[in-house]
Amino acid sequence: MLSNLLSNYRTVAGLAFVVLAVVLVEFFEVRASIYPSLLPFFEWLKYSSWIGYLGITYGSVYATIQAGHLISMAIIGGTVLVTDLRLLGVLLKDIPSETITKGTHQCFKYSLMVAIATGIFCAAGVADKVYYMPVFWIKMLALLTGSGFMFFIKQPLLNSRPHHEIDPWTLRILAAASIFIWFTVAATGRWIGFS
Amino acid sequence: MINELIYDFAIWLDDSAWSTLLHESYYMYNWVESIHVLTLVVCLGMLFMIDLRMLGYALPNVPASNIARRLNMPMLIGFAIMFITGILLFYAVPVRTSQSVWFRVKMILLVACAVNAYLFHRRMNESVSSWDHDTKAPDRIRFGAIFSLGFWSLVVICGRLVAYDWFDCEYTDSDNFSQLLSGCIAGQERF
Repeated sequence: MLSNLLSNYRTVAGLAFVVLAVVLVEFFEVRASIYPSLLPFFEWLKYSSWIGYLGITYGSVYATIQAGHLISMAIIGGTVLVTDLRLLGVLLKDIPSETITKGTHQCFKYSLMVAIATGIFCAAGVADKVYYMPVFWIKMLALLTGSGFMFFIKQPLLNSRPHHEIDPWTLRILAAASIFIWFTVAATGRWIGFS
Repeated sequence: MINELIYDFAIWLDDSAWSTLLHESYYMYNWVESIHVLTLVVCLGMLFMIDLRMLGYALPNVPASNIARRLNMPMLIGFAIMFITGILLFYAVPVRTSQSVWFRVKMILLVACAVNAYLFHRRMNESVSSWDHDTKAPDRIRFGAIFSLGFWSLVVICGRLVAYDWFDCEYTDSDNFSQLLSGCIAGQERF
């Protein structure tokens, strides 16, 4: 019975484990002890890695890759908005939401990969600064949450059965949560520039 | 002649109290800039979805005309807010921005984007009934989508480069070619 239950709710169990692990990490102050040990990595990223060197030395390359980061975020924004506004019943109402979900996911995946790659480059150029910025860590947390939410909750649920069999309020909450998380990623990313 | 006119206009804007207030206000300027970037994500996100649909990379099973028509409105709403906040950003720093090479290139690219969008929609409306359900649009439409992606990407790059002062009138010699492109005025006192 337990194995049946686990196989049906494997993703949920995995997610519950991750949430529990995060709570325990925070409760036992593991995060506070890990944080200082990350500083050498950030210093290496800026001063010793080739991406850090490129970012510091060539301002035009840095700005262009930053623009690439913004463009990939725009495509992520487009895929998220089209999918979630459809799930909320605001956009493209006459097209099945399954078609929209499947038709945008590939673009989302590739844009996310580009956004992460260009984001690492951007962070490398100012690694010694972002390390001390709370907003940078909030963005990382939001990015992790958004990616986890997309690949372990939203997509598995939307692919599990026809959408008319899913409770409409579940779909609406799913879409609203998704928009909120990715808005947080974009907004905190912008705020890094002001900190 | 035209550069003098632009400079005088920028000085006139710069003299207004609201321009100074906006520039000096840390939070308001940041809010305006943040809204500009976030609405850029909405506008370009929708536009790129249309372009990627034409290229066959997104929503291949949805009729192309449906995507272009339905995503047009949210894209235009995003564009309108982006445009207004863009004007406010220019208004906050008018002299330096009007004499930025990158800003000038960006304006030319925006015109190119507008012309491309007009041609794209005209060509699409003329022939869409014959390829609406195809995974990929015909070559002419696909070229329009590629130009759209290219022009807007360059707009974003130029927008990002405006922040850099490499070619600012204040920091370049009068015989530098960039001064010609930036429209620097001989003996100008405000930058």
